[in-house]
Amino acid sequence: MRLKAFTWEYGRQFGTLAGLVGLTLVLWALTPHFMTVSNLMNVVQQTSINAIIAVGMTLVIITAGIDLSVGSIVAFSGVVLASALQADIPLPLALAIGLAVGAFSGWMNGLLITYGRLPPFISTLGMMSVARGSALLYTGGRPISGFSADFRYLATGEILNIPLPVIIMVIVYLLGHIVLTRTKLGRYVYAIGGNEQAAVLSGVNVKFHKAAVYALSGLLSGLAAIILTARLNSAQPIAGIMYELDAIAATVIGGTSLMGGSGRIIGTLIGALIMGVLRNGLNLLGISSFIQQTVIGSVIILAVLMDMALKKQRT
Amino acid sequence: MKGTHQTLTFLTVALLLLSTGCQRGKDAAARDVPTIALVMKTLNNPFYIDMEQGARAAAGKLGVRLLVQAPDREVDVEKQMQVIENLIQRRVAAICITPSGSKEIVPAIIKANRAGIPVLILDTRVDSIALAEAGGRVATFIGSDNFQGGRIAGEFIVKQLAGQGKVAILEGIPGHETGDARLGGFHQVVSQAPGIEIVASQTANWERGQGYNVFQNIMQSHPEVQALFACNDLMALGAIEALAAAGRSGDLLVVGFDAIDDAREAIAAGAMAGSVAQNPAEMGKLAVEFAHGLLRGETIPEYFPVPVELITLQNVAASPTAANN
Repeated sequence: MRLKAFTWEYGRQFGTLAGLVGLTLVLWALTPHFMTVSNLMNVVQQTSINAIIAVGMTLVIITAGIDLSVGSIVAFSGVVLASALQADIPLPLALAIGLAVGAFSGWMNGLLITYGRLPPFISTLGMMSVARGSALLYTGGRPISGFSADFRYLATGEILNIPLPVIIMVIVYLLGHIVLTRTKLGRYVYAIGGNEQAAVLSGVNVKFHKAAVYALSGLLSGLAAIILTARLNSAQPIAGIMYELDAIAATVIGGTSLMGGSGRIIGTLIGALIMGVLRNGLNLLGISSFIQQTVIGSVIILAVLMDMALKKQRT
Repeated sequence: MKGTHQTLTFLTVALLLLSTGCQRGKDAAARDVPTIALVMKTLNNPFYIDMEQGARAAAGKLGVRLLVQAPDREVDVEKQMQVIENLIQRRVAAICITPSGSKEIVPAIIKANRAGIPVLILDTRVDSIALAEAGGRVATFIGSDNFQGGRIAGEFIVKQLAGQGKVAILEGIPGHETGDARLGGFHQVVSQAPGIEIVASQTANWERGQGYNVFQNIMQSHPEVQALFACNDLMALGAIEALAAAGRSGDLLVVGFDAIDDAREAIAAGAMAGSVAQNPAEMGKLAVEFAHGLLRGETIPEYFPVPVELITLQNVAASPTAANN
């Protein structure tokens, strides 16, 4: 049985990867502008913000939860970070404040879900509004713009010709993979999502670990806010609208089941890349924006259909 | 199991092929013709659809290829930046942009500058200080005189109310240069009319649905309000729906901005008093013509103000809709 589960997991990863490779080949054939170093860097950089948020989303979804507040938390941490930067607070401290706002908002989600016994959908839906409102209130609705070159380096800088956001993303995925496969928290995440009652009975501190997962999701939203703010040289209280749906889409395309208990972090990266490559490719080909939305939606549906077909064969 | 994989992967790829198939033929046929890109805020607002049509007509006349793209949501300036980055990769000859954010668009402009692609700005002005600080440059700005438009709306309301009355305002997204200029023009006129009192001024984020809700709330707290100035027609139309729902249709002097087709109908039906007409089709047309001229080495003006006019019951029938220009 264990072997079967493994084959299924890897089979699913293979399917997603095949999709990404197929897509890449098609675009390579269709336009000379796609398969260039500068464009590929461009795609990965564009994907990085969604991909980073999606790591948190994957952890949350594996616990059979959902986090609808990530986009609003991006906006809220972004504007607090921006005001800290403009108050000439030292850069590392300002970054820490931005991350802390994200982590705290996420932790509030976690407390409401565990100690408040709210369904994750409701608690994070509430936080989605609370964080958005806080961001608007904090700024009076106006964007905060204009930061030092040091800060902007986080989005514009390159190491060995690789843009910094991409490097940050890779580090987040490595850490996410290690957390999920090599740590107690990772094992508990699967256990909680697989069967929460069983996890409680076998002595897992479910409340603590669940709250930690939501805090982590908030923290990563804070990290995404740093990159977004540096990229646009501006923090907008209306930033990040619908980011939750992009992160959920990347997670689901990557093979994580919304029922919880299964999923892999690398799948989410492939899922996020598929979305990034699709958007980029359709832009390069000059295809109408309306078709782009339709295509991305169809890919999400196809990915879930694929999951269901595979699961049927498994039983 | 493998069969299912392959079928579904194949389906995904086929879907993409399907959506790109027809595009490819056009691509090959138009290889020698310069491609001008038009990056909109959104494609689901009639104002921008008119702009697109004006641009397409001009492109057809000049024999240039026009690519029109927009992010999924009007406020998503990061996605707009992605679209611009992708068009730079495609090495289009010129990029015309209606910026989703006056300051936020600057990094994308810098990227186009570095790639040597001229940038033409339409409709919403780029923050000149932010652009200068970043060392960026744009070839031209083609836009309505929004400040003047706000003044025209203010003068009309002051005159209709005979200098005496209570006025509410629906603002656009704060920080948008367009909305700020309209508000500024309106305030300048109204502040000189001592009998006019502004009892509420709230944002409805340019959206029709929010215009309805926000204005409904304003009516709750200020039932005595006599006139409304909305910084765009979508918000004005939302407010008109709210008035109709309250059984007060036509009771208030509602003035919008943009004179989109729905607003013209509302004016003709007497539900709306007026709307300041911009000419988005003309903007789209000018953008393509200027870009084309620029590519041929001609000089183009740094700023081209596109005139605005007030549409009321008196001239709504005579004035052509923007789409037909």
